[in-house]
Amino acid sequence: MKDIVTIIVRLTISCLLAGIVMGGTFILTNKTKKENAIKNEQKVMLSLLGYSKEKPAPATLELHEIYRYLVTEKGAQFLGYLLPVSGSGHGDFTFVIIDLDGKFVSQTPVSISPEKVTETESRTPAVQSAIGQEKSLRYADQTIVVTRDQKREAYLLPGKFPGFKTFISVILALNQNFTILGLEIMEHEEDPGLGGEIVQKYFKNQFKGKPIETIKQIEVVKTPLPDEYRKALEADNGGALGADEVGKIEAQYSDKNIYALTGATISSRSLTEGVKGIIKKTAYRLAILDRVLQEQKIAVPF
Amino acid sequence: MATDKTNIQLVVNGILNENPIFRLVLSMCPAVGISTTVMNGFMLGIAVLFVQVFSSCTISLFKNKIHPRIRIPTYTLTIATWVTVIDMVLAAYLPEAYAKMGIFIKLIVAFAIITMRLEMFACKESVNASFWDGIGMGLGFMFGMMALGFVRELLGMGTLLGYDVLGFKPLLFFVLPFAGFFCVGLMMAFFNYIEVVYKRSKRA
Repeated sequence: MKDIVTIIVRLTISCLLAGIVMGGTFILTNKTKKENAIKNEQKVMLSLLGYSKEKPAPATLELHEIYRYLVTEKGAQFLGYLLPVSGSGHGDFTFVIIDLDGKFVSQTPVSISPEKVTETESRTPAVQSAIGQEKSLRYADQTIVVTRDQKREAYLLPGKFPGFKTFISVILALNQNFTILGLEIMEHEEDPGLGGEIVQKYFKNQFKGKPIETIKQIEVVKTPLPDEYRKALEADNGGALGADEVGKIEAQYSDKNIYALTGATISSRSLTEGVKGIIKKTAYRLAILDRVLQEQKIAVPF
Repeated sequence: MATDKTNIQLVVNGILNENPIFRLVLSMCPAVGISTTVMNGFMLGIAVLFVQVFSSCTISLFKNKIHPRIRIPTYTLTIATWVTVIDMVLAAYLPEAYAKMGIFIKLIVAFAIITMRLEMFACKESVNASFWDGIGMGLGFMFGMMALGFVRELLGMGTLLGYDVLGFKPLLFFVLPFAGFFCVGLMMAFFNYIEVVYKRSKRA
């Protein structure tokens, strides 16, 4: 009996000690880890836009983030967009509320530093205090508008949707006409070797170059991937095939459906549906937002 | 019971006399499964080296406080703690190395060699001796893994550290998992043979 008590006490103490060590390390390293994740995300975004170390992004290239919120007031739902305002320097944002039919409701200036705006935990309270406590806020997603020389060049859409097991989070790059420039999978927990193959070039590059008209009605087909198409998809900057040849083959398949991964139809389908959903909704919302901004003469830097 | 070996002898002991892979025949799963390239062996070796040294020192430091009936759970807890700590530190400060090594580090919790060394050595010896024994065992494991990786990479893919040295692939079957068994067996025989020859020449 005495033995059991000492065993329990000692095991508890060791577990507590281990917990403290691990917790301490987590607290110490978490900030750097997050910074790394952000850096990595930016690198991925630039590479999706076609920039790399060898070909750095021009200085006139700017990323403007739009944060979308769901606003509820007295049972009625609205959409809120947190936008940067052009002209008056850093730290000036405006929160535009639009109702579900696309009509402008209100506009509130929000003052928040550019560092704080990237963190959901510090951004949401700032918006909340600006619009008043009676409206409830829920963060939905963000859209990044890429401009070059003050002209819109592309959109970057981070998104998350259910996969076969848990969520798949991706970043999509679209050009100004909503044609897909690239797709990168940031996080997923699909089965290795089956659904996990979604990160492979021969699958994710199938989305590349597809215009929004195709995306709207795209489906997953269970026919085998043609050999020449596979080679073109896997080629790096043209590779052995040469950039022209790859471009030709990709153009030939740009209006085709997505070829499913063998043994992972559900993963293939959920990725395709997810991408389709993100693009359709974003295109629709951006059209409304652009119209409202124009009507209300809100100056934005994009 | 204190060891009568010097620090250098402890390190050499881990690399040669008690090499974890070829002499103690421990941690065969990674030896068979992962030793397909020299680089893999090196990465896993580094990871094991750190975890072994830290765990050995911790256990040796607390050896009088550990109740003999719960020593194995305590060892596992110690190893798991250090693996987690190293995992988090690497992820934060060396993200590039972590991208390559991350998968190996998490595997280490289940390695027999570390638990066995804690049970056989660290729980009886001083912190200093345990530290050097940990280094020896870690280096021995790294040496074993790299030697296996060398043979398997060279024969299986014709490359070394990713560089093409042979220009052709002599025996593709060496990179497949089951070839790990052949490779471990053949190399064990090879090292035993060297030892026999060495002892014979010493006697003569």
